[in-house]
Amino acid sequence: MRTKRSIRSNLFTKRLAVLSMSALMVAALAACGAKTEAPTAEEAGKYEVTPGDPFSAYKDEINVTMGRVTTANPKLPAGDTYENNAYTRLVKDTFNAKITDQFEANGEDYSRQVSLAIASGELPDMMRVDSKDELKELVDNDLIEDLTTIYDQYATDEIKKIYDSYDGRALDNATIDGRLMGLPATSLDSAPTMVWVRQDWVDLLGIKLDADGDGAITLEEVEKTTQEFLKRDPGQSGNPVGIPFVNTLNTTDYNGSAYTMLGAASTQQAFPQYWMRGDDGKILYGSTTEETKKLLGIMADWFKEGIIDPQFGTRTFDDITALYANGQSGIAFGPWHIPDWGLISVKQMDKNAKFSAYALQDADGKVNIAHANPSNQFIVVRKGYEHPELAVKILNLFYDKLANDKDVATTMPEAAKYQETGVDGSTRPFNIEVNSATSLLDDYSDVVRGIKGEISLDEVRTTESKNNIGSIKTYLSDMDTDNTTAWSKYHSRINGVGLIDKLTKEDKFVWMTPAFSGTTPSMKQTWANLTKLEQESFIKIVTCSEPLDYFDTFVSNWKKQGGEQIIQEIEAEIGAKP
Amino acid sequence: MKQRLYKTNGRIRSGTMYHMMMIPGILFLLVFSYVPMVGVITAFQDYIPAKGMFGSEFVGLKHFVYMFKLPDIAQVVSNTLVIALGKILIGTIMAIIFSVLLNEIRMKTIKKSVQTIVYLPHFLSWVVLASVVVNMFSLDGIVNQILTFFGLQHINFLGSNTWFQPLIIGTDVWKEFGYSSIVYLAAITSIDPGLYEAAGMDGASWWRKVWHITLPGMLPIILLMGVMSLTNILSAGFDQIYNLYNPVVYESGDILDTYVYRIGLVGRQYSFGTAVGLFKSVIGIVLLLSANQLAKKYTDRKIF
Repeated sequence: MRTKRSIRSNLFTKRLAVLSMSALMVAALAACGAKTEAPTAEEAGKYEVTPGDPFSAYKDEINVTMGRVTTANPKLPAGDTYENNAYTRLVKDTFNAKITDQFEANGEDYSRQVSLAIASGELPDMMRVDSKDELKELVDNDLIEDLTTIYDQYATDEIKKIYDSYDGRALDNATIDGRLMGLPATSLDSAPTMVWVRQDWVDLLGIKLDADGDGAITLEEVEKTTQEFLKRDPGQSGNPVGIPFVNTLNTTDYNGSAYTMLGAASTQQAFPQYWMRGDDGKILYGSTTEETKKLLGIMADWFKEGIIDPQFGTRTFDDITALYANGQSGIAFGPWHIPDWGLISVKQMDKNAKFSAYALQDADGKVNIAHANPSNQFIVVRKGYEHPELAVKILNLFYDKLANDKDVATTMPEAAKYQETGVDGSTRPFNIEVNSATSLLDDYSDVVRGIKGEISLDEVRTTESKNNIGSIKTYLSDMDTDNTTAWSKYHSRINGVGLIDKLTKEDKFVWMTPAFSGTTPSMKQTWANLTKLEQESFIKIVTCSEPLDYFDTFVSNWKKQGGEQIIQEIEAEIGAKP
Repeated sequence: MKQRLYKTNGRIRSGTMYHMMMIPGILFLLVFSYVPMVGVITAFQDYIPAKGMFGSEFVGLKHFVYMFKLPDIAQVVSNTLVIALGKILIGTIMAIIFSVLLNEIRMKTIKKSVQTIVYLPHFLSWVVLASVVVNMFSLDGIVNQILTFFGLQHINFLGSNTWFQPLIIGTDVWKEFGYSSIVYLAAITSIDPGLYEAAGMDGASWWRKVWHITLPGMLPIILLMGVMSLTNILSAGFDQIYNLYNPVVYESGDILDTYVYRIGLVGRQYSFGTAVGLFKSVIGIVLLLSANQLAKKYTDRKIF
């Protein structure tokens, strides 16, 4: 069963098919899987060379299997793979630990792999889980290691400092019943979903966008620009399409998800999928508010006019990226880092491609944004894995040593090369980010000052920023450069983070604080259905197969099918808290 | 039975060898069909993988009650039935027509090559074929290009609840009709050529011969195949639909298998998934038994 799979491979789907053909069989499998016990935790320490040393290597080579979150365009050099690349070799050299991938997938496919791993009890030794829900479930099922003492013993001071910069929020979120059950990714709290517009097309067609130059535009401007793009086909694809959205439409992750309609939602002060407090103090589900209805009305109008991709709903994430790369669409909703891993494929296809980033403003000229959920990604270690401390060691290696070592070029030349050439961070063993709370804007200030020569490269805090300064300088000296890394770093840092920095300084953001972000008991039974109901209803409304008033039906169905009870449970939980 | 199926050459007792050959099959059935049946009890529990089947708490019919309260379930069952029945009916008719026509081809090389070409898709998996289908039927795919060439409207086949079921049925028939025509061809070849000659003497046209000789000759095998395929009526093709559907067409495309998969496995509600799966099995048995009875009543043939 421990075969390596890649997404959409024949084997993968067959396995899914076999597994799901009979739920009975799955249940039996899961039961069998749970019975196989690996060595106990007491035995774990004895392989260790120096207990407590954050970087010591193992005497005999050890193995670690992983579930890996991949990216469509990782930019790995020829011959390197997710399983065998500079970073995994670095782990091998540093710790004498060999990484094998139990599965590799991205997006929804990854969540499926995780679900299947949990159901069959065949967890990889380490993997990323993408919600507190899953983390809780793993703990309830006693499938993962308690990392409390290991974290205390092995994590470097720098790593501890990074986590502490969140006032305990980061670690708290991974702590269940007082025990640290996973290593949380940190989620920065300063990034709205932006609109990325093909600047070269705007120039070509002579469109006036963002006339006041404040970096924030209105929905009407997006609409008009899209119409121009559709009418005049500046990409000369012969088949221009409107703005493509993913069929999930919503997420609570402003910082991580691309191609969602969150940016548009914020202009209506709609916060779909967030738990908010209404004007009367009662708990509200963001997807059921009047504001969300208004948003869907706008989306439906857009769909009618072709502003939204007519094949909305049927496209996969990769299909959408391809639309941009083919020059069929030039307006993308996404976070500040989308040029690094998504839009970069546009530059690869079209040398002249340039993007500008804009935030979306509401009628009052303000940019609305919700505070991010505290970290929603966790690295967990399979219960019974002999070397749970390896997880913390890998964390040390990548998020402390590699990030902060001033001499990476000599100490870790291969990894340094990767960073310079912009190989995607997802190729690291853990596809998470661990940065201090203020790092986004701190790094930006480093980069800007570095480019201007106000500080020397030695004063720049992280290796990544150092590389970014080099890349951005390359781009600034030659905007037509073939160096796609230089292109993407300029776009993500100067255009993307630059905009956030500017809007933050100008106090343009209006923050909404979610009232609740956990899960309640009855969600376990009803949430999968409620989410399905929401997704289907929203798609129907947007694609005009149901009128806008169908939203009210959705809301009443949502309440009847368990939503009402969840709200009561949340009220009780919040009420119970001091 | 007069005909001897095997030789008794003294050392092997009659039939033993043949019975031995059943062992792998029986083992396979036991391991993959009977042992997992124990898992049915999880449908009546709040199943937690770590606690296992015998440690999880019993909750009675809770999951079944929840299932019947869900507005989706009727939709899912009816989708499953429509898609499965469509596939069986149209698939069988196509296979019969094809085998009758193919039987008329006298040139062996042409006959063989036609056969090979229509068998081919059967051997490709839906993972591969799905991308072919998506390419052909997407908004800018070849089918829509043809439609617009004739001045017709674009049709979003993969994102339309009206078109998704016909698309699923149509592509499945296309993939399988060649292969399933094999048994019908075999049935035709076993029909006594004397009957055709006699009919020819009486002046029967080709059509008459097909209607009065070929089809009645094929009837037993048609019935057998029909009843057999009813056992699968609630398995309307996970592979195919999983690879072709998307949230826009959940409404018309969700079948029990995909629903169980999405809610049960991806949503990690194992007990609920099992309950739906069990429900599916019960309907399957009911349908099979009644089809068998009907076959007995009207044609005096049954399979058990």
